[in-house]
Order: sequence, then structure tokens, then C-alpha cells
Amino acid sequence: MAGHESHPPAPPKPRATPEEMRERKRLSRQRVSDDSEFITVSMGPQHPSTHGVYQAVVDLDGEIVVNARPSIGNLHRGVEKLAEVKSYHRFLPLTDRLDYISSFAMNHAYAEAVEKLMDIEVPRRARYIRTIGDELCRLSNHLLWLGVHVMDFGAQTFFLICFRDREYVLDLWEMLCGARLTHSYARIGGVAADLPDGWVEKCRAAMEFMPRRLAEYQRLVEKNRIFLKRTVGIGIFTREDCVAWRVTGPSLRATGMERDLRKTEPYAAYDEVDFDVAVEYDADVYSRYLVRMKEMYESCRIILQCLDQLPEGDYINQDAPSQTFPRKKQVMRDSAAMVQDFMQTFRGPKVPKGEVYKAIEVPKGEMGVYIVSDGTSIPQRLHLVTPTFYHCQATPALFEGEMISDVVGIFGSVDIVLGDSDR
Amino acid sequence: MDSTGEQISDALKSVFGKIEEKFGARLLGSSVFRGELTFLVAAEDLVEVATYCKAGLGFDRLEFLTGNHYPERLEQPFEVAVHLTSMATNDRLRLKVPLKEGQKMPTLSSLWPAANWCERETWEMYGIEFEGHPNLIRLLTDADFEGHPLRKDFPVRGLVGGRIRTDLKGKI
Repeated sequence: MAGHESHPPAPPKPRATPEEMRERKRLSRQRVSDDSEFITVSMGPQHPSTHGVYQAVVDLDGEIVVNARPSIGNLHRGVEKLAEVKSYHRFLPLTDRLDYISSFAMNHAYAEAVEKLMDIEVPRRARYIRTIGDELCRLSNHLLWLGVHVMDFGAQTFFLICFRDREYVLDLWEMLCGARLTHSYARIGGVAADLPDGWVEKCRAAMEFMPRRLAEYQRLVEKNRIFLKRTVGIGIFTREDCVAWRVTGPSLRATGMERDLRKTEPYAAYDEVDFDVAVEYDADVYSRYLVRMKEMYESCRIILQCLDQLPEGDYINQDAPSQTFPRKKQVMRDSAAMVQDFMQTFRGPKVPKGEVYKAIEVPKGEMGVYIVSDGTSIPQRLHLVTPTFYHCQATPALFEGEMISDVVGIFGSVDIVLGDSDR
Repeated sequence: MDSTGEQISDALKSVFGKIEEKFGARLLGSSVFRGELTFLVAAEDLVEVATYCKAGLGFDRLEFLTGNHYPERLEQPFEVAVHLTSMATNDRLRLKVPLKEGQKMPTLSSLWPAANWCERETWEMYGIEFEGHPNLIRLLTDADFEGHPLRKDFPVRGLVGGRIRTDLKGKI
């Protein structure tokens, strides 16, 4: 267990009170003048720095952003409408396509909500596998974010370095479920398949190796004067703003609020592993960077603990044959399992009437699923409460009063995937 | 309490008591399912109830706001669900507002700025208008899209012409 326990020392930073943060924000947002003419600049939707098809029309007073009008929806696919014609099982692959960077976490959020609606148990081994999957998603998501974020500041090579190490995580996924990006690995009541032979060892090797790489990244980034100048004290978004705009995840924790659904509302196996919630206090771009870096170390720690404690048992619930799939290996050997598989595929699960909301902590924030069931195997209404939707909405408040050159960095620091916001 | 025999936490019980005490007869109903508390609120009372929940009960975050369509309910086919979260205790509360066809909803975007896009999306998808909303325009679909796609009578399949509108230049 050596190598993943100690964090490399972060540069000492004073702990700011909310009043200090507000004062800093006020100072950083002083307008140049009130009567000058504004210049309107359109950023995106095809600009590489907008991380997808996001467009922001910004009004500039000199170099200072006065107002921004974001536009999303270029990726709208009507997922919620499609949910109303598909059974609960058949909708699961569509959740992959929301946040395609961390698709297992999206599967997981949906499966947790349906399980809450059906009130079924998930076997302990499946909960551990889901925890590992969530954390692998967090690692790959944050590695991609880190590369792109630093590339926004002009460091091209760093992007490729991050992608090199993201490959280790994607290889693990490929070995686990055959897919690298759109996993569809979760099932209602468990996961699709057990861990393959040799996967645990491979995963352990990668997770013991990863913290060393993360330390290398920190050395590369945190001593870079350009990076520090463009991130420290820039893009301050206070706790009150975060709560008002429903900004969640690392951006919220960068304001000193210890809110992490993995701790406050434990799901999967998070109550059985030991980890710290990453918190920073300065609410700027640099704090958001630090929170994500700390989270990556914690992810490695959680995965290693899960691998050590991995219990034996089923990977999918076998006590609710009218609601879950059977084990795939049994389908061709056991007639009851074959009937169960057929009924689940073509008729769908039996679901009680009612409505539930369940949120979990995905890499980008709090992802919730709201299901209204009328007692049939097709949802009456399914609403996906995705973090990026709210983060995109908050961008005018984030950009306001900042320099136009910082907009790209601030936008990168909230970590946005447009598939998630447009649904 | 129209309970399905399920239990809610003690914190939610006290929330239930306080809301019941304050608004009593004006509430249209309440229910509990899987430990989640739901109140049915009339549209004209919503702002008052939501303000009380925010200021008096500590539900300081709007989790989300969305609509729903029940064509089989002839009187009030639409419904808006407002979800609130308390950041201090992590309690959740759901307020549901049944609406007639064409009935307007009061906006919550002055209480929570996050409601702005939620209400835009709800209007776009269900045609529920929000009174006092600052910018009620289409969000996810094209600017010239016609109809409200999440209504149950809107077909899942079909062809809608995709053309480039030049007359909308500068308006979006």
C-alpha cells in the first residue's frame, strides 16, 4: 500500500474566509467605465477551447467581460423523450452518451435511481465493482480535464502526456467490458459481468503507478509561473454563488464546502472505504485544479482499498427475477434463466408506481435522476439532472468582470462536457 | 398524511409538521414514497411556500425544476415538480404544482437563479409559461422549432425540416 498514501506537499496557501473571498471577488470585478461602448465577441461553437459545441457571446468593455450569453443545445438528442418509449433496461446504454468522458458514472447514477424505485438490493461484490468503476471514471475524466485545461493555457505537450496515462485507465475498461468510452457496464441490480481473470492485478499495478505520475504532473504544473499567474486569484466563484446557481462537484469544494455525496449520502461501497474529501478554500481556478488533483490521489487510494477488500459473491442481484437480468453464463444452460433473460429483454422489469430522485457524485458534480413511474415497465417521465447543464448556466456569472483572456481558463476550470448539458 | 406506509427521517418529519402547520388547508396534499416527502401546492401559493422553505426551513438550493404531462388527467394535465435541497442537512423536498392547460406558473428565478434555465427548458418542452421570467426563449431545440416535444401527444418519430434561418440573425 506504499506510494498512494501521502500527498506531495502543496504550496502553502492562506485560508480565506467567505468575507475575504467576496472582497477579492469585488476587487477583481471592477468595471473599467460605465459609458464606453461594448464590443461583442462570439466564442464558439466550434472553437477548440469551448470543449464542445458551446457558444458564448460576450460583451466586452475594453478587455473586461461585462456580460456573457451562453447558448447550448447544439447536441440535443431528446434522451428524455426516448426514455418514455424504452423499458428501464433498454434505456441504460443511452445514459452513456450523456457525459461520454465518464460514462460508467452515468450508468451508475441511472441504475442507483432505478434500484431505489424498485427497492432492490445490490450484492456487496457488485457495489465494490461499481465503486472501482466510478473511481476509474473519475481518474480518466480528471486526466482528460487536466490535459485540456493546461492546454488552454498553451501547454500542448502536457495534453499528450495526460492522454498517455489515461490510456492505462481506458485499457482497464477495455479489458473489463470491451469498450473504452461508452461502457454500458452497469445493470439494474448489479453490473454486466464479473471482473475478468488478471484484471485485479493489472488494476492494482496501474493504481500503484498512477500517484507517481500525478506527482510528476504536479511538479510540471505547479512550478510553472505562467500557469500560476493565470490561475491564482482568477475566476472566483463564492460559496453563495455556487449554492444559488447549483454549481456542484469540485467547483463547490474549491470554496471550502465539504459536500461530497460519497460522504453525505453514501452509496455503493463508499461507506466501507477510507478516503478524504478534497477541499480548498480560495474558490479560484487554481483551487479547482488542486481539488481535482487531490481527488485523483484519493481515487487511487479508494480503488486500492476496494481491490484489497473485494468480497466474493454475485455480481448481479439474483433474488428479484422479475426485475433484473440473470447471470449471462446461465442463460444458455438453465431454462428458467433463459426465460428470465427473454422476459427482461422484451417485456422489461416490473416496477412499482411512484416517483424517486437519486443523486450520486459523478466526476463533474452531482448527477441526479428523477423517475416518475406509473407501474409499467416504461418510465412515465425520466428527467436527468446533469451537472454541466447548471455549470453552463452559471458561466455568465463566472465570466463577468474577468479579462477576456481568462475566459478560456475559467471555462476550462469548471469542466464541461456538452453531451451532459444538452441531453 | 397520504402515506404509503413508508418512513421518513425525523428531520423531514419536523419539516412536514412545520409546513403543514403554516399552510395547512392551502396545501392540496402530501405523500411519502421511498423516504421522499412531496407536497402538492397550488400555483398561486408556490412562491410563498418556496420562500418559506428557503428562508424558514433552510432549503437553500434548488435541485431542479421540471414538468410532466398526464393526458389522462382531463382537468389538470400538466405538473411542475420543484426539488429543493438543504445544504446543511442534505434533506430533500419536492413541491408539485398541478396545472391546467394554458395556466401560467409563477417564476422562481428571482429566488434561485438556477431556476432560469430549468424554467426555459420546461416551457420549451411542455409549453408551460412562467410569469415574470426574464428570458423565456428556446434553450435546447432550434429557435424555429415548433411544438413542445415532451408532451405525450408529440410523436417520437417524424421529420421536421432542418433549414438555416437567416432572418433570426442577431436575435439569438
